[in-house]
Amino acid sequence: MLEISGLTIEVDQKPIVEQSSFSVPHGKITSIIGESGSGKSMTVAALLDILPPGGRVCGQALLNGMNLLDYANKDMKALRKSHIFTIFQDAANSFNPSVKMKSQLYELAGRRMNDTLSQFHTKMENVLQDLGLSATLMEQYPFELSGGMLQRSMIACAFYIKPKLLIADEPTSAIDVILQDEFIELLKLLNVEYGTTILFITHDLDVVVEVSEEMVVMHDGKVVESGKVKTLFERPQHSYTKRLLNSRF
Amino acid sequence: MIAKWIGKRVVMGIMVLFIISFLSFFLMHAAPGDPATAFYGGNAQLLNAAEKARIYEAFSLDRPIIQQYSAWLSETLKGNLGYSSREGRPVSIILMERFPNTLLLFSVTMSSIILGSILLGTAAGMKTGSLWDRGLSIISIATSSVPSFWLGILFISLFSVKLGILPSSGTMDIRGDGGLLDRLRHLIMPASVLILTHVGIYARFLQESIKTESRNYYVVVARANGVAEREVRKGVLRNASIPFLNYIGMTIPSFFGGSIIVESLFSWSGLGQLTVNAVVTKDFPLLMGSLLFTGLLVVVSLFLIDCMMYAVDPKLRKGGLK
Amino acid sequence: MKSRKALIFWCALLLVIVCLTVFAQFISPYGTNEMNMDRIYEEPGKNHVLGTDHLGRDVMTRLLEGGKATLSIAVVSVLMSLIIGVIYGGISGYIGGFVDVVMMRFLEALIAIPSVIIILAFQAMMQGGVWSMAFIIGITNWLVTARIVRSEFIRLREAEFVQMAKMFGTPTWKIILQHMLRNSIPAVFVVTLFNFAGAVFMEVSLSFLGIGVPPSIPSWGSMLYYAQNDILIGAWWIGVFPGLMIFATILAINFIGEALKNPERRRLNA
Repeated sequence: MLEISGLTIEVDQKPIVEQSSFSVPHGKITSIIGESGSGKSMTVAALLDILPPGGRVCGQALLNGMNLLDYANKDMKALRKSHIFTIFQDAANSFNPSVKMKSQLYELAGRRMNDTLSQFHTKMENVLQDLGLSATLMEQYPFELSGGMLQRSMIACAFYIKPKLLIADEPTSAIDVILQDEFIELLKLLNVEYGTTILFITHDLDVVVEVSEEMVVMHDGKVVESGKVKTLFERPQHSYTKRLLNSRF
Repeated sequence: MIAKWIGKRVVMGIMVLFIISFLSFFLMHAAPGDPATAFYGGNAQLLNAAEKARIYEAFSLDRPIIQQYSAWLSETLKGNLGYSSREGRPVSIILMERFPNTLLLFSVTMSSIILGSILLGTAAGMKTGSLWDRGLSIISIATSSVPSFWLGILFISLFSVKLGILPSSGTMDIRGDGGLLDRLRHLIMPASVLILTHVGIYARFLQESIKTESRNYYVVVARANGVAEREVRKGVLRNASIPFLNYIGMTIPSFFGGSIIVESLFSWSGLGQLTVNAVVTKDFPLLMGSLLFTGLLVVVSLFLIDCMMYAVDPKLRKGGLK
Repeated sequence: MKSRKALIFWCALLLVIVCLTVFAQFISPYGTNEMNMDRIYEEPGKNHVLGTDHLGRDVMTRLLEGGKATLSIAVVSVLMSLIIGVIYGGISGYIGGFVDVVMMRFLEALIAIPSVIIILAFQAMMQGGVWSMAFIIGITNWLVTARIVRSEFIRLREAEFVQMAKMFGTPTWKIILQHMLRNSIPAVFVVTLFNFAGAVFMEVSLSFLGIGVPPSIPSWGSMLYYAQNDILIGAWWIGVFPGLMIFATILAINFIGEALKNPERRRLNA
């Protein structure tokens, strides 16, 4: 589904990612694993056109044959919007504290599906209920809700939109283990029921094993190894991968 | 919840007015000369003994100062602010005459400033690093460093003297029959002076608030997921307007001070000019009355700002975080 | 604006202005109150670089002398504001608790009163000279300084090195002097700088209104007081030049203050 080749990212002339290449196969869950500073979040930022000022990128990231890195292209923007949805690390802060949930959820989910407000209301209520959230949440403000509720609201958007590609950037680092498991189950559900391709960024190897079929190992701005999770675990090729696996125990 | 909030504001307001009244009252009594004369009105000599006695009685002028203060206070609360020692007319009536002019100037300038700063500040704040951004920073410092009355003098020099197209003083034509256009011609210079010297800093403050607010996580999340820039902007502005309103509240007192000066320069018959004249002529009852009244205006405007903040910030309304 | 060069430029400008006023007598050939009724309202020209006023006095001389009055009033009042503000804010911030709350409520009430009003009230009572003006402005300008000192003290009170000093039994006065005050200096310095601009503005405004320094003493503000009427007869130079000086001074102070205000932010952005 997504083919990255030769991706190089620089911020203020400092190299962050060098010549990365990997692919995200359609309909599967792929994880990018690496420690902080490995360049994994920057990779996501590049795909989404949210690099910090002073950031330069070259290379290719082909989604349906079109290059996501071609920022100026309006069609690219539209494609990005219609095909990709991203859940970020800190769900609690992903919402504007002073705007009601229903407006925010509408902007994130309803509007991009071209649903009217009333259609959105009904659909979203159902989605929320399926996730164990009450519909009254829509009338509330983010600061009135718990972190878990906010995270589930974000996932609700994902279930609403059913994007072709869902990117989850370290979604489990900021929450406790119970919510973590819940989140992973929901992701798997999304993948199994709707065939959503998922790109999962994390630094936690355990999560990788639980969630994904494919993995990409990044270290120091470079893609060190990639392939099926099973293969890498049984026969790691690169020294870094070996070290990573060993550190589990 | 809301009662507690209003209560707090009211208490503050009363405290402020008390301090002003204390200050002016005791200063007046610290001044040399018989303060009693000040209460007699313009033509003290013409009052006969009975009238003098009556005034003495009403203002307790022969008793200790604390009692005088409470007497004065009770009279004031009844609406009797004494008589102007220069004009001989009741202070309250003079204040009421002048008040609409100050209100006009204040509301026109303040709303223009707020509108202007929203337009300029938002444009500059949302496009970080652009020409708008840096330009506004510099221009705002430059324009706010200009003394308002100097700008006024320059304007008068240019528009009234050299070009002769705008009147240099007053609120309207002396004959009073100029109509709306005439009023506008008189209003435009004092208002412009105030607006131009203040809009810069307010716009810049809003710009900085917006910039800070835009660095928040939720902005990145929204943009990444393709939320329309217009909506992002609305959300950011909503949050940035809270410190902005706070800032307006903090600077309203000094803005009042600035308008006093402008009123003087343009002989704009408002409360500010009245106060200055009262100082010059040592017309104490009038001075005390106008100080108190101006204080009241400030308190009311602060209260209005607080109401606006309450309306904009859901956290205030819902009583804090979960 | 954000470069070192700009900062040096503005400091230099300010220095030039100060020097001009201090050395006024050496620069101009005329006396401050030297009247020449044959040459009233002369336009800027050969003999009088900046023209003459309604009494034939040289504008430039009065301008430079006036600077002395304005600037010295500003300096004295700022020192006063600094002392009062540091004491008030320091007490409030260090002691904290109920005392702090009460002091702050009182402060907020004071802030709500336009300082011009308080000054007008004072001036009505005492028509003094340069010193009483400095006193009055000093008494009304300390509010923001107090706030800043208080927030600095609150911030520092919780800092590790202060806790450690307390544990070691360092006497309180030493803690306050050496640790807390010293570390508050950057913030307080910036506030004081802006206060200085404000004091200049205050003095000028009051003199302009006619309730500042007595008319015999020239100051930038009092020159503008006369200028009000002088422009109506076309003598623009009497108003333009003092205003220019005021503008330049305040502008320089503001830019310097801005540059000093954000050193940490600039470092973070780099």
